[in-house]
Amino acid sequence: MTSMRPTLLSSCALATTAAEARFRIDGRPQPPRAALVVALDAGAAVIVERLAARDWQGARFLRYEPDHADGARRDLADVVLTSADGDVPLSEQLPSTDFMMMIATVDDGAEAATAIGNACTLHGIMTAGLVFANGGDANAAVSALRPHARVLLVSHDEEDAAEVLSAVGA
Amino acid sequence: MLKQDINELLTRTGPGTPMGDLFRQYWVPALLAEELPEDGCPPVRVKLLSERMIAFRDNAGRYGLIDEFCAHRGASLWFGNNEVGGLRCAYHGWKYDVTGQCVEVPSEPDNSTFCEKVKLTAYPLVKVGDVLWTYMGDPAKQPPLPEFEWVHVPPEQTYTSKRWQECNWLQALEGGIDSSHVSWLHSAGLRNDPLFKGSKGNEYNLADMRPFFEVVESDGGLFVGVRRNAEEGKYYWRITPWVMPAFTMVPPRGDHPVHGHFWVPIDDENCWVYTFDYLPVRALTASERQAMQDGHGVHNEYVPGTYRPLANKDNDYLMDREAQRRGETFSGIKGIAMQDASLQESMGPIVDRSKERLVSADSGIIKARRKLVQAALALSEDGVTPPGVDPAHHRVRSAAIVLEQQESFLEACADAVVATPGVPQTSV
Repeated sequence: MTSMRPTLLSSCALATTAAEARFRIDGRPQPPRAALVVALDAGAAVIVERLAARDWQGARFLRYEPDHADGARRDLADVVLTSADGDVPLSEQLPSTDFMMMIATVDDGAEAATAIGNACTLHGIMTAGLVFANGGDANAAVSALRPHARVLLVSHDEEDAAEVLSAVGA
Repeated sequence: MLKQDINELLTRTGPGTPMGDLFRQYWVPALLAEELPEDGCPPVRVKLLSERMIAFRDNAGRYGLIDEFCAHRGASLWFGNNEVGGLRCAYHGWKYDVTGQCVEVPSEPDNSTFCEKVKLTAYPLVKVGDVLWTYMGDPAKQPPLPEFEWVHVPPEQTYTSKRWQECNWLQALEGGIDSSHVSWLHSAGLRNDPLFKGSKGNEYNLADMRPFFEVVESDGGLFVGVRRNAEEGKYYWRITPWVMPAFTMVPPRGDHPVHGHFWVPIDDENCWVYTFDYLPVRALTASERQAMQDGHGVHNEYVPGTYRPLANKDNDYLMDREAQRRGETFSGIKGIAMQDASLQESMGPIVDRSKERLVSADSGIIKARRKLVQAALALSEDGVTPPGVDPAHHRVRSAAIVLEQQESFLEACADAVVATPGVPQTSV
C-alpha cells in the first residue's frame, strides 16, 4: 500500500505556524484534579496549613497525627486524618480523590505513608511525595516515602508544593 | 498549567528580557568548530538570543563574533571578504577586526583616525572541544570557560552535531528533562537503533511502562531519577542531570556512548539543539562515529549543506505510516531526534502553557521552570549569579544503575553522577 501525501491544510508546515495556532479549539476548562494533601508530621502540618489558606479548586488539606489526644497510638488499619473541622477516616476521603500529595519534613510519618500509599494503590489514586527538610532528616523522610509515592520531589522550597498543585489543576 | 505572564518570562530571551539576561550570564554554544574550519575561511551568519551576528576566523586563527551589520549603511557583513586582519564589508570596504573594531574606512583620507571611533558590538568566541562558545553578557562578569565533560575528553572520544529546531527553546529543553516519554515515543529505537540497542537497561525500560520519579535539586540544577522494576527486590534507575539553563544528559545504555544536549535559543521561535555523544575512557569506534554521522542515536540526517533536519515540517517529517503500523516506529517518524522535534514543533512556535494539563509525573519540568523563574528574578532584582555559571556545576554525568530497593539513588550514585576523568560511565 502506498502512503498518501497529506493535503495542504493538514500539512505540518501549515499546522505548526503561529498563525494557525489561532484556530486551536478553545475548549471548555478541564475539571479540577481532586487533590487531597496530607501532612505526615508536625513540620509538614505548618506547611500544609499555609497551603490551605490559598485559593484552590476543591483541594483538601489534612494532617496525620499518630496519637489520639490521650496519647494512645492510632490504629493504622484505617488512617484517621485531622483538620480544623475534626477527624475523618482516610477511607471516606479516597472515593473523592484522584491525586494524593503527602508532605513530610522528617520520617515520623513513615507508617502513615505506607498505609496511605497502599490504600491509594488499591484505589488507583496517583501519589506524590514532597519532602522539605535539611540534611539527614531529608534522607529519612525520603526513604519513608519512596515506596509509596510515584513521584517524589525533594526540595528546600515549600513553594514547590503550591507549584505542583497548581500545575496539575488542583 | 502555567500563567501566561510566567510563560512569557520563560520563553522570551531577547535583549533586555529577564530570561535573556539570564542566558547572558552563561557561555553558550554559538557554532560548531567545523563551521569555521580554517584561518581566513568564509564568515558565517549567527543568530543567538534574538541577536544577529557574524562569526569569522581571521587569517591569524582568531575567532570573532560581531554585529552582522556594517556600521556605515547597515549592509550584512556576510557578503564581506575575510582579509588579512579582518572582515571587509563588500559594500564600501569598511573593515573590522575580531573585536568589532573598525580598522579601515577607505573613504577617509590617509592618516584619518575616524575608524577608531567605529566599533561594532562583539562577543568573545572561544573553541572548547568541537564547539565555539560565546558569552553575551557583561564583560566584567565573564565566567570561566565551560567544563562539561563532553568537550574536554580527547577528540577521538567525542562527537557533536547540531540541528535547527523550529520552536521555542523551552519546549525543546523540557523534552530533555522529561524521560517518561522514552518508553513510548522511542520504544522502537531501544530495540533497533545501533547506538541504543542491546543493553540490559532497555529490557527494564520496555518491561515497566509506569516508572516512579524522584526530583532532587543539585548545585547547578536538578537530578531527575526514574526508577523501574528490575529483578526481585531491585530497581533500575535512570538519572538525568539538568544544568541550568539548558544542558541535559541522557542516561547511558550498556557500553554505548553517553549522549546529551545543549538547547540554545536562536530567537523566541527557533533554537539550536547541540547534540553530543562521548565516552569518558575510550575512543568512539569507527562504526559508532559512522552511525552518528548517518543520523542514528540522538543525531539526525540533514538537508544537504545545512543544519536543517532532512525530516522537517515542510515534508511532514517524512511520516511513514507503514513503519508506524509495523511497529518500527511509534510515531511514524524515523530517528529519536526527529521523533522528539516533530512533536515539540507540533505544539506551535511557543506552546501556550496556560492550556496544558500536567500530571505529577511532570514534576521535573515543573521544578525546572520554577528554578528558571527564580533565577531570572533573583538576577534582575538582586544581581544574584544563577546556578550553572560556576564551572564546577558542569562536571556532572548521567547514570543508569540497578540498586537494591531500599537504596537512595543519589546516595548510591554520588560518585557516578560526577564527571571524573579516567573513570567510565555508570551504565546498565
